[in-house]
Amino acid sequence: MANPILEAVRVSKSFGITRAVKDVSLSFGEGEIRGLIGENGSGKSTFVSMLCGIHSIDSGKFILNGEEMKVRNQVEANRRGVSIIVQEMGTLSGLTVTENIFLGNEDGFVRFGIKNTAAMNREASRLLEKYGFGHINATSMTDHYNFEDRKLIEIVKATYFGPRIVVIDETTTALSQSGREALFKHMKRLREEGNTVIFISHDLLEVIERTDSITVLRDGVLIDTVKSSEVGEDDLKRLMVGRELGSHYYRTDYDRPVPDDVVLSVKNLSVPGEIEDVSFELRKGEILGFGGLSNCGIHELGKAVFAASYGRTGKVTLGDGTEINSIRAAIKNGLAYASKDRDNESLVYGASIRDNICLPSIGDLAVKGILWNKKLNRFADKNARMMSVKMTGINQPVSALSGGNKQKVALARWLGKDSDIIVLDGPTRGIDVKVKADIYALMSELKSRGKSIIMISEEIQELLGMSDRILVMKNGRINGEITRSRNLCEEDLIAKMI
Amino acid sequence: MKFSERMNKLKTGKFFGRLYGIILLASIAFAFWGVFMLLTPGNFGTPRHLYFYLQSSIIFSVGACGFYFIVVMGLFDFSIGANVVLSSIVGVILSRQYGYAGLLFGCIACGTAIGFLNGFLYIKLKIPSMIVTIGLLLIYESIASFAAQGQKQSLPPALQGFGRAPGNMILAFTAFMLAGLIIRYTKIGTYCYAIGSNEYVAKNMGINVNKYKLYGFMLLHFFVGIMAVLSVSYGTSMTAITGMGSMARNFTPLMGCFFGLAFKKYGSPIIAIVVGGFIIAIIFNGFIAMGAPTTIQNVVTGAALLAIVALTLKHEKGAIVK
Repeated sequence: MANPILEAVRVSKSFGITRAVKDVSLSFGEGEIRGLIGENGSGKSTFVSMLCGIHSIDSGKFILNGEEMKVRNQVEANRRGVSIIVQEMGTLSGLTVTENIFLGNEDGFVRFGIKNTAAMNREASRLLEKYGFGHINATSMTDHYNFEDRKLIEIVKATYFGPRIVVIDETTTALSQSGREALFKHMKRLREEGNTVIFISHDLLEVIERTDSITVLRDGVLIDTVKSSEVGEDDLKRLMVGRELGSHYYRTDYDRPVPDDVVLSVKNLSVPGEIEDVSFELRKGEILGFGGLSNCGIHELGKAVFAASYGRTGKVTLGDGTEINSIRAAIKNGLAYASKDRDNESLVYGASIRDNICLPSIGDLAVKGILWNKKLNRFADKNARMMSVKMTGINQPVSALSGGNKQKVALARWLGKDSDIIVLDGPTRGIDVKVKADIYALMSELKSRGKSIIMISEEIQELLGMSDRILVMKNGRINGEITRSRNLCEEDLIAKMI
Repeated sequence: MKFSERMNKLKTGKFFGRLYGIILLASIAFAFWGVFMLLTPGNFGTPRHLYFYLQSSIIFSVGACGFYFIVVMGLFDFSIGANVVLSSIVGVILSRQYGYAGLLFGCIACGTAIGFLNGFLYIKLKIPSMIVTIGLLLIYESIASFAAQGQKQSLPPALQGFGRAPGNMILAFTAFMLAGLIIRYTKIGTYCYAIGSNEYVAKNMGINVNKYKLYGFMLLHFFVGIMAVLSVSYGTSMTAITGMGSMARNFTPLMGCFFGLAFKKYGSPIIAIVVGGFIIAIIFNGFIAMGAPTTIQNVVTGAALLAIVALTLKHEKGAIVK
């Protein structure tokens, strides 16, 4: 390793009774891109959050350039030369792009209490040009930009002041290929300038390709640091999970035909500005994949099928002819939907695991209108255990769970409801390999029980590996259909997407 | 690019966006003026009348500018009316000894001190701003009643310069410019927006959230202090009221503030507050010109408040409102 610039010395952090990071000691070299990987809940984000002042440290310390770092927030960390691009939205609505870039660091533009907004805008425009994000207008409100552009703004915000350490926390999933390339270019530039990048991603291939070395955390404990050039994807999976992952990661059956019984029929479904004239049928026991580039309409389609879209036209009918025109009708008739946006659209964030799991089944669980705690507890516990949710108990708030376990809770509620048709949007988004494997196994099991699944995904391998059929969307319309086959490759799918 | 997208881009652009906002506001004002002119010809809407409406509306618009600082942070304050009453009474008492200096200092310092107290108690007690300020409004009303000793407090005729042009215009427009300056050219404005957008992220950006909330309350009541100067000068006297009687004074500034929020996207919240206040004055005076009784006017106030808030706070389809 090059000269160490940053050291973590026995750093620990607990949330209640959960020890998120346990005595982690690590060194980071100058001019190094270090991958930081681990399952959901392994402590990666907590570790870097402590480094960047987002969370306080319970014990241990960080030493930067030989001096102990004590920071209370991101701006203090920035001043010490450490910055972060966070996993979630890190820009604020209601502010201009310029205000977001310099938020908390306006002092250089302030004289006698008055901000020189013209100079701030000029500087922000210069930076955006320099980074190759010239299509973003510094004086516009951030609200006018989509998630990806807002991530690009964050890249500028996190790196314009020349930090020595830059943390990139699971950012690439929000970016298109061109956005990713832009990010990788800046990671490379930072390394060439002698700075250190800590890169967190669940895409192991991406981590191997883009980093010099990789540190693996498991259950908050440091497992190993390895050279990226000396490991493969399977080695990393083994280190992350602690054992060999089964070879049946995706489905291995290719010749099993899907029955002809149509359980869901969608005709001329449109949502203004999102999807147009989409028609398809879903069969019993089928996994129907929907793929395409960002903003092609796949995510809106999931909502529209579940009747959660506004301004929807067209028809969604079940096999028995029942029309689905409202969310209530959808749930009542055995249709389930797990949104891509778990935290905002899928889970009741402030509620417990129990309440989240019981929510759609409350009517079934009530005895003459009365809800008995014992019954609710039994129901939630059974379904949480079936999904192997890693929890302290069913009364634990769902907000305290890692991304993967939150997804398990979101799925557990529909398992409990015994829905026949399940719409899964981004079922493994931001989820580690172990939970991914669990979810794929669950999907296969549901399929074998005759349940039908609409799987919406931006991951090509997932679509190829799990779907019986794949419908590819482009500009809100279906642009092609691909049937499951051993000989399918990524290029077949990409050709229909572009 | 589609025509609607092109229009949208133009509307949200820096220069044309502002121009579009101003044209839209002027059109609304013109439409209301036109309707009442048709309904009450000769009795409403002459240039002299309009100048009178403007003079009455700027009083509330000054308060609305202050309101803006805390409403963008997601906070609320019910004690504005009580502060106007108390600060006016303090200002009148001091003016008897110190003239205009006493009036200005009494109103503005008392107003700002009330803002400090509201903010301080909101932060320390950790209870919603709405509850804190309702509790405090009862206390301020009682203090005002005690200070006035049950008497109507009249401003000496020689000190009523801020109740008529050009004194009221100069003071109000100075306040508008000051509010615009703080919103656009100081960290306070940026941080108020940031806190309103996501307090957690704002905190992580090193912003001392409590400090800026306190500043927000102080600024609100600083402007309410100026509103008190204008109110007592315009009305020449102030009578203490209790039992939440001061609450009605909150609503017109609140309506003006919502105009500011709605037109913020066009980059001109203060202009929107001033023109919005003027539009509200046109509506009220239009009804008066029509001879509508007070009860009808109250119905109009309530309905106008609901309509303005509903129309200005346009939520996306499916957005959750609590």
